[in-house]
Amino acid sequence: MDNITRRDFIKISAGAALATLLPKPLLGAENTNGPVIAVAHGEKSKLVHTAVDLMGGIKNFVKSGDVVCLKPNLSFASNTDCGATTSPEVVKGMVQLCLDAGASRIFVVDHTIQDPTLCVERSRIEEAIIDKKVSLVTLQQERQYTEIEVPGGKQLTTIQVAKIIQDADLLVNMPTAKSHSGTGVSLGIKNLMGLIWDRGYLHRVNLHDAIAELATVIKPGLTIVDATKALTSGGPGGPGKTVILNKVVAGIDPVAVDSYTVGIAQWYKRSWTGNQVQYIKAAANLGLGEIDTNKMQIKEAAA
Amino acid sequence: MLRVKTHRIIRWIIQLVFLGFVVLAFAQTRYSVPVTFQNILLRSDPLLLAVTSIAYRVMIAAALPSLILVAVTVLFGRFFCGFVCPLGTLIDISDAFIKKRLRSFPVLKNTKYYILLFLVIAAVLGASLVHFFDPLVIFERSLVLIFYPVFTYLVSSFALIQTPVYTESMIALCVVVTIIGLNLLRPRFWCRNMCPLGALLALFSKISIFKFSFLEGCNKCSICEKVCPTSAISIEAQKIDSGECISCLRCQYECPQDAVKYRMSLAPTRIDLGRRQAITALGASVLLAPLARSLMHRRILGRLIRPPGSIPERDFLNACIHCGKCMKACPTNGLQPCIIEAGINGLWTPKLAARIGGCEKNCNLCGQVCPTSAIRKLPLEEKTYAKMGTAVIDRTRCIAWEQDKVCLICDEACPYNAISSLNETIRGTTLLRPFVDERICTGCGLCEARCPIEGRAAIEVFSIGEERKRRGSYITEEKVNLRACEEKIEDIPSGFIIDN
Repeated sequence: MDNITRRDFIKISAGAALATLLPKPLLGAENTNGPVIAVAHGEKSKLVHTAVDLMGGIKNFVKSGDVVCLKPNLSFASNTDCGATTSPEVVKGMVQLCLDAGASRIFVVDHTIQDPTLCVERSRIEEAIIDKKVSLVTLQQERQYTEIEVPGGKQLTTIQVAKIIQDADLLVNMPTAKSHSGTGVSLGIKNLMGLIWDRGYLHRVNLHDAIAELATVIKPGLTIVDATKALTSGGPGGPGKTVILNKVVAGIDPVAVDSYTVGIAQWYKRSWTGNQVQYIKAAANLGLGEIDTNKMQIKEAAA
Repeated sequence: MLRVKTHRIIRWIIQLVFLGFVVLAFAQTRYSVPVTFQNILLRSDPLLLAVTSIAYRVMIAAALPSLILVAVTVLFGRFFCGFVCPLGTLIDISDAFIKKRLRSFPVLKNTKYYILLFLVIAAVLGASLVHFFDPLVIFERSLVLIFYPVFTYLVSSFALIQTPVYTESMIALCVVVTIIGLNLLRPRFWCRNMCPLGALLALFSKISIFKFSFLEGCNKCSICEKVCPTSAISIEAQKIDSGECISCLRCQYECPQDAVKYRMSLAPTRIDLGRRQAITALGASVLLAPLARSLMHRRILGRLIRPPGSIPERDFLNACIHCGKCMKACPTNGLQPCIIEAGINGLWTPKLAARIGGCEKNCNLCGQVCPTSAIRKLPLEEKTYAKMGTAVIDRTRCIAWEQDKVCLICDEACPYNAISSLNETIRGTTLLRPFVDERICTGCGLCEARCPIEGRAAIEVFSIGEERKRRGSYITEEKVNLRACEEKIEDIPSGFIIDN
């Protein structure tokens, strides 16, 4: 919004005044306090661009000269149609946006579960490495991590987190929407487990609470969920059932993004809400974001 | 003197080029590089072809290129040892640093024939022991088990690269250090006295068409005798043993009279073996071959998981040359050298140590690089059906079973959906706990590699149900149907809160 004319101002004020008179349930979508969730649907290659535009454009996130880390999910050496990894097209869309915004370096990072060479090959992620400024970094070695404290953590007191994200100006979390045999779904916050050294430890304590505590120390500036397809059972590694959604969901509030995304597909043949997913609920309880979809501003657009 | 120098430099260059080729082939033995030339040297080794084929009782077709080396040796002599053999080059390099030697040490050049005889008789008796003596195997194995971990460790101090680990490197190190150490006795001690490949090539070389011989004009100055690195020349008898000669050309270049020449000559050189020593070699084979075939450990532990597509164990031990190429190729580092798990003769044979790394579904590189097809060259699809064993859950150690933890990492690691997470109530707690479907499990061990508990995994692969076929497809209709079964049994994960 460049210049607000007096006429615009009056219009907006009048609208706002009118809105206060409306009954509360109708207010839902107009809520201006809740977190913004951008949902783009349509053409795969344009999804990220559309979603980020709904969030106010890339300039809100990336300034010229910034170092950006993108964290797709590359954990498994399974083919892209399986739905266990983030689509290269979606990552490429974000890479392109960052380049256009003048990012000086872009790192596409993940601590893969299976062999990194195979994961990289099968996920076709190298298609997103389109410029000299873009590098793919797999985080397979302990010395790529530094230990940080988890203030107030009950499950985690300290955790080894990837150095590369601590040195970056922006971390963009780019999970894929998939089911998970342990946590039910694996979305944005769960995807942060690919930025720590010892993920097995989280399973040895209370997994759901530990994931939520992890989100208190790793805070992405933006979360973009690849929901072009959702692996609705058999996750996280697949094979399982996939449904084609042709969407991406973006937002700054990590809890809101996950909570919203839970509702866009049926997982294990059932409908769920964010409140029914233990790790998302735990994250909301830690005050990390909004879990109630009625309190979010959902902006949708076709790409 | 100039031509002597030039000649030496040329020989060094040729040797280093071949050494470079071997190292390049080694470096390129890795995932995502198609297998073309990587194992060609081992496949060109007639000793491997002979011994493994005799022991296995099947002609190893993959090693047939070695007949080319035989043919060339019959034509031109044992040049392989002097110019091509990477172990020979390594020995030459270390020789260059040795100043003092124990001169009095006797020449034992017949020993290599006894070793060859020993290997052949043992093979006839059904045990291949060639891996202890074949120079190309020793060199390749040293690259894998010693050079590779050391090199990557050093490089990793300034670059991010994967550093492999191997459970056995020290015995391999001792072997190669001993071979190089023998140089202290005499130059190229191993090559002239012990190498059975050298012995085999020497047999062909004795009848070679081109060889060195004396011309008129020799004044018995004995320079050639002194410079010959294999003591092939006897100036008194005016004879050059073409079996010992490695065609290094030094005599020809250093002769001040131009009286030694490499030329066509059909007269074969004789071989004199001692009867007593030959009988000793026979006795050693009779004693060691049956011992080498002992498979006790395998039976007891049940944890010896061979790479996918390995031929039946007895044949495997005979066909496998213990070169370690599969271990270098394995992208997860899961293929490890056995120490005694496969019996005495199983030293350095590959096993899947799934705790270190499982067998990736999308990889069949071990079978591709195997120079003797002890691991069959299975297509990717078929490899996934070659059952190596079965994963077994130890419920007393599994944290989902014993400690009510939300784990199921084994389930998520399994690329075949052989592990199901099902609700099971224990002491009043209902929770998803892992179960293995042994009909679908291939024994790849990806679950064992990732089990998050400390030390031994709570899910381990045992050789239960392993399939080993010499020929024929691993794919059966039943297996395909089982795997295609659409409805995987799945309970709702405990990460969901179910409202009642």
